[in-house]
Amino acid sequence: MLESLFGSKSRERVLVFLYCRGEGYAREIARFYKTDLDPVQKQLGRLEYGGVVASRKAGRTLLYQLNPRYVFSLELKALLKRSLEFLDQTERGLLAPVRTRPRRKGKPL
Amino acid sequence: MTLGELGAYVSSHLAKRGIQVVLSGGACVSLYSANLYRSDDLDFIESGSAARKMLKQALGEIGFQESRRYFQHPGTRFFLEFPSGPLAVGREPVKETAEKRYSTGLLRLLSPTDCVKDRLAAYFHWHDLQSLEQAVLVCARNPVDLKEVRRWAGNEGMASEYAGISRRLAPKKASPGRPKPAGRMTLINKKTLI
Repeated sequence: MLESLFGSKSRERVLVFLYCRGEGYAREIARFYKTDLDPVQKQLGRLEYGGVVASRKAGRTLLYQLNPRYVFSLELKALLKRSLEFLDQTERGLLAPVRTRPRRKGKPL
Repeated sequence: MTLGELGAYVSSHLAKRGIQVVLSGGACVSLYSANLYRSDDLDFIESGSAARKMLKQALGEIGFQESRRYFQHPGTRFFLEFPSGPLAVGREPVKETAEKRYSTGLLRLLSPTDCVKDRLAAYFHWHDLQSLEQAVLVCARNPVDLKEVRRWAGNEGMASEYAGISRRLAPKKASPGRPKPAGRMTLINKKTLI
């Protein structure tokens, strides 16, 4: 959808994923789209270098998110939001944010 | 060479090659706080659209070699980075830059007011307390337009966050018993005046 604008399918996927989920790591994004890890990592690296996404360490994992300090952050989010309207219901559902609130260790759920 | 001297040297050399850069980030804090905060990283934002190849060639002429995404020189601990532009603080473009002259050349950098905005953007968005301390340092030693900073914070959607820290940025009143300063300017180290 936005591939021609962003220049690559992987880049579009990375941005859409981070917009919907809030944050994510390379392997998680690759698994979600059932794609190779390498292009996802490459695009995350490029986007980070350009200031579009930002990363932080959580243990040994590098978590990425859309960079709120990116100068076109609002415009980018508006574009990504608009693009979601054209996704089919199933994919939109899968992209919905996952539970992030704490869950006590050992809780039977 | 000090950080400022090196920044001016690099900046002037690049200008001769038609590449205009502005110093941003922690190095500005270092210069505006007389090194109370030390940064070894010079972030230059290029204000034109010079190709990376051109930049690499120009920096190579003064002995800087690219290593990953940084430029390093065997004779200094400082390293250079050229994050992609545009030159902005938060979501707003930088309209005016400051200049400092050194024996090695002319350095263009963020003004103290924009430097404070830049640090506060990191504090607001990343909750980085170190960035807030840096903004406080810059405010204490330089003329900063706090009305403008408040306007900017509002535009960033951070009005209430700014209200929570504005007292820390405001100039301190003179303590009783000491001679009363004539104004905020007396706090300024003349060497750091632009």
